[in-house]
Amino acid sequence: MNANLNIKVSPPACSACGIAYIGAMIGGLIQQGRPLPIVLGALCRLFDAAAEGYASSVLLFDRSRTQIRHAIGPGLPAAYTRLLEGLPVTSDDRACDGTQHEKPESIIAQLMADILREDNGRALARTYGFKSCWWWPILSLTGVPLGVLAIYQREAGGYAPFPPALVQQLTDIASLAIERTRSDENVRRSEMLLAKAQRLSSTGSFSWCIATDELTWSDELYRIFEFDPDDSVSLEHVIARIHPEDLPSFHALVERARCGGGDLDCEHRLLMPEGTVKYLHLVADGTRDQDGQLEYIGAIQDITERRQSEQVLDKLRTELAHVARVTSLGALTASIAHEVNQPLLGVITNASSCLRILAADPPDLELARETARLAIRDGQRASDVITRLRSLFSKRGATSELVDLNEAIREVLALLFGELQRSSAVVRVELCEGLPPVIGDRVQLQQVILNLVMNAAEAMSGVNDRARRLTIRTRLHKGHCVRLSVQDAGVGITHQDAPRLFDAFYTTKSGGMGIGLSVSRSIVENHRGRLWAEANAGHGATFSFAIPRADEDVPAPRAAQSTRPSTRAVRGAGTSA
Amino acid sequence: MSAVSLISLVDDDQSVRESLPILLKQFGHPTRTFAAAEDFLTSDAVAQTRCLILDVALPGMSGPELQRALELKGHRIPVIFITAQTDEALPARLLAQGAVDVLVKPFSDTALLQALDKALRAS
Repeated sequence: MNANLNIKVSPPACSACGIAYIGAMIGGLIQQGRPLPIVLGALCRLFDAAAEGYASSVLLFDRSRTQIRHAIGPGLPAAYTRLLEGLPVTSDDRACDGTQHEKPESIIAQLMADILREDNGRALARTYGFKSCWWWPILSLTGVPLGVLAIYQREAGGYAPFPPALVQQLTDIASLAIERTRSDENVRRSEMLLAKAQRLSSTGSFSWCIATDELTWSDELYRIFEFDPDDSVSLEHVIARIHPEDLPSFHALVERARCGGGDLDCEHRLLMPEGTVKYLHLVADGTRDQDGQLEYIGAIQDITERRQSEQVLDKLRTELAHVARVTSLGALTASIAHEVNQPLLGVITNASSCLRILAADPPDLELARETARLAIRDGQRASDVITRLRSLFSKRGATSELVDLNEAIREVLALLFGELQRSSAVVRVELCEGLPPVIGDRVQLQQVILNLVMNAAEAMSGVNDRARRLTIRTRLHKGHCVRLSVQDAGVGITHQDAPRLFDAFYTTKSGGMGIGLSVSRSIVENHRGRLWAEANAGHGATFSFAIPRADEDVPAPRAAQSTRPSTRAVRGAGTSA
Repeated sequence: MSAVSLISLVDDDQSVRESLPILLKQFGHPTRTFAAAEDFLTSDAVAQTRCLILDVALPGMSGPELQRALELKGHRIPVIFITAQTDEALPARLLAQGAVDVLVKPFSDTALLQALDKALRAS
């Protein structure tokens, strides 16, 4: 297996026992986890020391076998080995040839011919004064070429190959060294990738042996809990970090895990020593090891940023809803004046009557008392109107309670009474009797109803050839939802408007800001519901929303989670319903 | 101005129907109340009423519509409109259509008394 150079061989020192010594030395280096070039360099040095007059080298291919990654030959001139590094393993014309590509011997023969050949300007071996060269492929256990073992001789000599068994053992040692080191590297790489992935996703992993309470934590988990990476972690350490409000549920979780209570999935908070709060999501699967011991293997993700951005989003949503309410407040001024002036007339009239009755001789004291009582009642009524308005238009965060949509509609219609009369709408109210309540924010839902009703009235403002019929309905929707629809006989929805109807700042009205419907939809979706519009068969459009009924066995909307006491009250009421 | 002048009040607001008759009684006038225009139109009070105190915005037939219906039937009853609406052009329009007075809620007892005097003189 040589080309162009004369070959002379007799490595007398490379006896069977010499090979065994080399094998043991190299094995030791691999165990120590030394880098591959050092291990292979040691292999060459040991061989060179045993076979006088020869210089061995290993040409190590890269993982894709396209070029020489390392040329290791401590007995060769460094300038020579440097020139070999980076040489392509397959020349371009050969790379195209699939069948040749598959045969390691052919590839390596071509490579060595390229290195040694005179006529292509790469006569490197001759340039550096080598007279003979032998080479053998280094193959993996599966026969994939990993590199080349090449042995050079400075003095020209005759053809006399090394004993095949000896060569086989040398290439085996090199192959083993390369494969072992690379698989160690692979493990290190995948560990590093895992650590990076954990870091990027803010997710730590752990295992927890129930019998011994032994915890094994990933580095990322140490970082999340802000524990010293050199300390071992116990369940007590973990519990010390849990937010006091979440401790009862965390203890319950631990108890459930100890009883082998299936897979775990929960969210809880940490209270860090400097007072900051972290939100974590834990998922773990219980498994039994070979000894039948219960072990939980799981992941914990730091979802603090997500939770915080959700809180910011909630706040923005509340503010936007407030803007929308204040905008409609302007449109409602006349209606509000109507609602307040009506009871005020009662107050003034009754007080006047009272004075006149008392001025008579003799005064009818019983009638005077009666008119005073009526004045108080009407004053109370005016005050109720103001309270309703304040709750509808004040700026506040979402709350959660049981809401009867029928009742919510009645209250909104009471406020809109004058407005609807002014717009000459013929209002028909078809409320489903025994409608189950929904869980949510009453005022926000009333805001949606108010928006839909005002829109419907406005859509009919130019209609003069037919009744301005406005129908508000409640129904059960697909069994598990409550649906509210507002149907008008107005201008309807054009194909042009339909796709953008719910976009913020899109409006077809001259005086509108275009936030009503987009805010309405965001409110409805926050109640896990849906808001949609349909063109009527005849004139106008119908806007509807459907929200899950409260007694559905589903978690409350997010607004409910932030107000624990009312959530509990709601759940209690829900189950008894 | 007769000693006993029947006054009719049409308003869909119950508190108005309760409070105004007491005051009107202090002025010396008996009052009949109706929650809807149609109720008044079909009652025997039409023939006896010397003054009609009429809310503008009513469910069904509105106040001005009742006023026209009465004229069509040949009943010339003086009408005092009362309204909680803040439409500034409304009073002038109603006065032009023959109303004796237009009182915007909440109005005072003296404003009501003056309007009544005007109405009863007119009848």
